[in-house]
Amino acid sequence: MGNLNAEGARITIGARTLLDDVNLEIRRGEVLAIVGPNGVGKTTLLRTLAGVLAPAGGRVTIEGIDLRERSRAELVRAIALVSSDVELPHGMSVRDVVATGRFAHRAWWDWSSGPDDDDATAAAIARCDLGELAERPFDTLSSGERQRAWLAVGLAQGANVLLLDEPTSHLDARYAVEMLALLRRIASEGRAVAAVLHDLNEAAAFADRIAVLGERSLIACGPPALVLLSPALERAYGVPFERFERDGRVRVTVRGEDALTAWRTEPIPR
Amino acid sequence: MPSPAGARTLAVLSAVAAASLVVAVFVGGSPLPAGDVAYALLHPSASGDAHAIVWTLRLPRVVIAGTVGVALAVAGFLLQGMLRNPLVDPFLTGVSAGAAAAIAIGVGLGVAAPFLPALGFVAGLGTALLVALLARRGTGIDAERLILAGVSLSALFSAIVSLALTKLARNGADQILAWIAGSVAGRGWTDLLWTLPYVVAGLAGALLAVPSLNALRLGHGVARAVGVDVARAQWLLLGATTLLTAAAVSLSGIVGFVGLIVPHLARRVTGTDGRSALPASALIGLGLVPLADALGRSLMPPSEIPLGVLLAFIGVPTFLYLYLRPAGAARLWGT
Repeated sequence: MGNLNAEGARITIGARTLLDDVNLEIRRGEVLAIVGPNGVGKTTLLRTLAGVLAPAGGRVTIEGIDLRERSRAELVRAIALVSSDVELPHGMSVRDVVATGRFAHRAWWDWSSGPDDDDATAAAIARCDLGELAERPFDTLSSGERQRAWLAVGLAQGANVLLLDEPTSHLDARYAVEMLALLRRIASEGRAVAAVLHDLNEAAAFADRIAVLGERSLIACGPPALVLLSPALERAYGVPFERFERDGRVRVTVRGEDALTAWRTEPIPR
Repeated sequence: MPSPAGARTLAVLSAVAAASLVVAVFVGGSPLPAGDVAYALLHPSASGDAHAIVWTLRLPRVVIAGTVGVALAVAGFLLQGMLRNPLVDPFLTGVSAGAAAAIAIGVGLGVAAPFLPALGFVAGLGTALLVALLARRGTGIDAERLILAGVSLSALFSAIVSLALTKLARNGADQILAWIAGSVAGRGWTDLLWTLPYVVAGLAGALLAVPSLNALRLGHGVARAVGVDVARAQWLLLGATTLLTAAAVSLSGIVGFVGLIVPHLARRVTGTDGRSALPASALIGLGLVPLADALGRSLMPPSEIPLGVLLAFIGVPTFLYLYLRPAGAARLWGT
């Protein structure tokens, strides 16, 4: 049993079912990569796992308790949902942005911020290597620095489960690797980390397990090598992949356009 | 609580606001010696011309101008933060246009002058409610729909006012024009007393909403993720804005620029954290409007320059200087 669990969860947006019967564990000390084609419901799954949306069927539990039995403030203190595609705050320092992660630690009308809040904010800033940037206006940060700052907001929440929506989007190779390495370190400290990623090799390199989402279902979830070698990728993305081995890891790449055309005439492996 | 630096800034602004209020009581259309004004202030039960002028004309007027300043500045700060748009002013929700149209209709129907502020207040609230209902999406409020609904209804109500101005007799048209120009002339303690509960309620709502407003600066997605009940925050902010604006409009007519410019000045001196910037907005409004009113009644005695007109004369060049200089636009949110 993981720290955060989806148990037969039906993930919907409005009246439309995106994913049905999702069973997924997000475990302490692990990084789980969630991959799948655009529009399959990765972000909606993450929002449901965070308790922002309720599952239309089944349930999501944290430490065995249904999220619906927890207050919103309790959920925010336990589960951080970190998005990357968000509006830029104007005129706020990095420290002020990170400090908003403490909102759920006091009454919603309370103006005060105690030593606990200051300490948690400072620790989150330090954990994400933002110490020298703490007083800088947020909108002057680079993309990589912003991603780290959004992660720091989640850490300031004090949550043990971190759900990240495309934390490496808009990042160049170096920043992406740095972000993923940071997530690994955070997980190794005992937190549960799940991140929606698009790059399958990135996912394989940094995650302990990969969950592959396809049309209306979680197709596969397991260690990277097993998942990448299975036909789950073809089922999910509808294109053929080539697998190869490098540095003791399984790597994948989409086959060329010619192969794609030929492959489409073949039945999709199930 | 504000940071230590924010607290120091607020202390300075409090002193400036207090000085401004005192100066405003000493300035007026009639040349009263300062000693007489001071004596009248220190001896409330005394009698005489100076006492009557200070206690029944100047003091209520200064307090009302200060109340209008606080209400509009805070309302502007709340609405700009809620909509994440630094160019918004509190009249966007249609409060002033709805009130103006109701007063124009009231004048046309022969409603007695003392009842017009209350009529404006109710119409202002009603218009804001209509705009809010049109802007509703799910349980919350959609910023774009709010702006569209506010601008559209304001245009409609402005057309009603224009129609009234062209059809009414000179006397009625003058009454409406005086109200549109914005003024606290002729207002007394009674006017203040009946609007005060709404101002207090609006300020209380504003104080409650500040922590949520701070998180809303990051956008709804992040605010929700850190635990803000976005819909509750939006309705609270809109409710507070509407009460404050409607109360201000009923006291002074349409006094522009305070709600637009004062929040900018406040953010410039304190930064964007609402725990400092909201009190700073209130204090700047409290000092600015009575001072502008004092100027308006003393520059060309015995006639007065309407408060709204004078604030526009002061406010527009200030705004242009501060923000439309090269590289100034980037500072709209004040860092």
